[in-house]
Amino acid sequence: MSPEYYVLITGYIFGFYMAWNIGANDVANSMASAVGAKALTIRQAVFIAGILNIVGATFIGSHVTNTIRKGIVSTSILTDPHLALIGALSALLAAALWVSFATWKSLPVSTTHSIVGAMIGFGIMAGGFSVINWGKLAAVVISWVVSPLISMIISYIMFKCIVRFILARRDPYSRAINLSKYFIGITVFIIILSFLFKTPLGKRLAMETHEALILAVIIATGLGLLGKLAIKKFFSSKKRKADTEEIFKVIQIGTSCYVALAQGANDVANAIGPLAVIYFLVKTGSVGATVPVPIFLLLFGGVGISLGIGMAGHRVMKTLGTKITTLNNTRGFSVDFAAATTVMIASKLGLPVSTTHAAVGGVLGVGFARGMEAVNFKIIFQIIVYWILTVPAAAFTSMIIFLILKHVI
Amino acid sequence: MRIPFLSIFIASPFEGLQEHAEKVKECAWTFQQAIECHIEKKCESFTKFVKEISMLESEADAIKRRIRGHLPKGTMLPVDKFQLFRYLREQDSILDAVEDAVDWISYRPEPGIPAEVAEDFILLADQAVAPIEELNIMVTEARNYFTSFSKKQRMIVKEIIHNIRQMEHDADTTEDMVKQKVFTSITDPIMVFHLIRLSETIGSIADHAENAGDMMRAMIAE
Repeated sequence: MSPEYYVLITGYIFGFYMAWNIGANDVANSMASAVGAKALTIRQAVFIAGILNIVGATFIGSHVTNTIRKGIVSTSILTDPHLALIGALSALLAAALWVSFATWKSLPVSTTHSIVGAMIGFGIMAGGFSVINWGKLAAVVISWVVSPLISMIISYIMFKCIVRFILARRDPYSRAINLSKYFIGITVFIIILSFLFKTPLGKRLAMETHEALILAVIIATGLGLLGKLAIKKFFSSKKRKADTEEIFKVIQIGTSCYVALAQGANDVANAIGPLAVIYFLVKTGSVGATVPVPIFLLLFGGVGISLGIGMAGHRVMKTLGTKITTLNNTRGFSVDFAAATTVMIASKLGLPVSTTHAAVGGVLGVGFARGMEAVNFKIIFQIIVYWILTVPAAAFTSMIIFLILKHVI
Repeated sequence: MRIPFLSIFIASPFEGLQEHAEKVKECAWTFQQAIECHIEKKCESFTKFVKEISMLESEADAIKRRIRGHLPKGTMLPVDKFQLFRYLREQDSILDAVEDAVDWISYRPEPGIPAEVAEDFILLADQAVAPIEELNIMVTEARNYFTSFSKKQRMIVKEIIHNIRQMEHDADTTEDMVKQKVFTSITDPIMVFHLIRLSETIGSIADHAENAGDMMRAMIAE
């Protein structure tokens, strides 16, 4: 067996490890608010998130991946297949190491930014600073500020609206049923738009912006009205009187599932992208700006993410009971809605945003609206420091691993 | 391994507030029993009650410290953190007043409270303890308000605070009556001093409950 095959096997291991870490680090993004708000039990959440991540990764995930995520590093560094092989391997390992460090330290970092940082490190080692696309890097830096901020504002407004139009009213329960069409409609609208704009499957449909908007409005109106009828029927058939939160619980299950699906579709490339490069190099000996990703690799990544979710999910069980007992469905919905909307807006603007950043911003927004019983604001600064550290740390680790591997292989 | 993202959420201080209020209520009940027992003359378990109260007080103290110690700088709450602390201090002062009262009784066990004013002291103790039970309900209802922000819920809390104020007023009236009666019907100066001070201490239990209610009113202000 040629040494390339050893590299490929190592690539599989590192790729799987990275996927596992994505699952472990991001499990909370999609499901934390739903579980915290008791919309789903932890078992259900872990199960649903696992399945949806595999589905999202395999069927919605990109079948063609850019060899360099987000085009931050020039592809000229890939001309030497040997260096490219080492580079992809070291980037993968560096990103995985950083994400596992973050998971261990309980820090919600962006897995996308980790792989971007690791690629930068490899790029600098292979081609010097000139291969870095500084404009793209600036977009990453801007996203540290923009995505939490947008998300914070959206969740603040959303929660204030819920309080104003539903909770503070005389009969919040029937208000909630009446207004549920708007909440469902606007959620469906955002979900459809982000599906079309953000996921690789949506991009393959290649719809014009105005077409997408019209389609989203039509489906959102329809589903909003249908959803209201369904909710009304569902709750009127129940014997005991339900409360307002339970109506949002139903909507929230929908948003959580969407986040899990989108996460699988988008994040699988973080683990599988570099692996696909290695796979392609070993099989064909050269690589271009994009490589096709075989479906079994996507499935492989999806399973890795799901396993990470499953294993970290058990820890969530222990932590959740004590930590977010105070997040109920109206809050959870506001956070989910803000995160999904921010990711949609930002990716439309071409910013490489992270769902993690958006979710943290969403929690803050509800906190500012005085909707949280206790949120530790100070820890946010600590989290932001790690967001900023992610790129250089992953880059630096990647450089060191690259140097070591260059001597070994 | 800890879970990223969840570290933003910390334990709610309202949980502790409810626990603390529960301790205050238990303490108030024990106090009622202690006073009744003391007046019955052949009371053997008075010291047991005193011990129980002091135990409850230290347990409540631990809860108070836990609440204060676990709200790091920059915690976002539905209410101002210092308002919460001030509320907690008032709620805690109830316990101190109860403890002071039983301690004061225990300094002069014989002859204790004379039969002429015994009934009045029992009445005073009952009235001073009454707002504390309301206080307990108030904490639960207020927590409900902070999650639902419903106007109806806010009215419920305001209603309870109003009741507490009324009860404190009743206890005040009784306190005045008791003092008058002590001055007119008791001649022994030491006894008078002991009883007057005792009635004031018991009266202050209701005062602190009222103050706590007022702090809560400030916390639910829009």
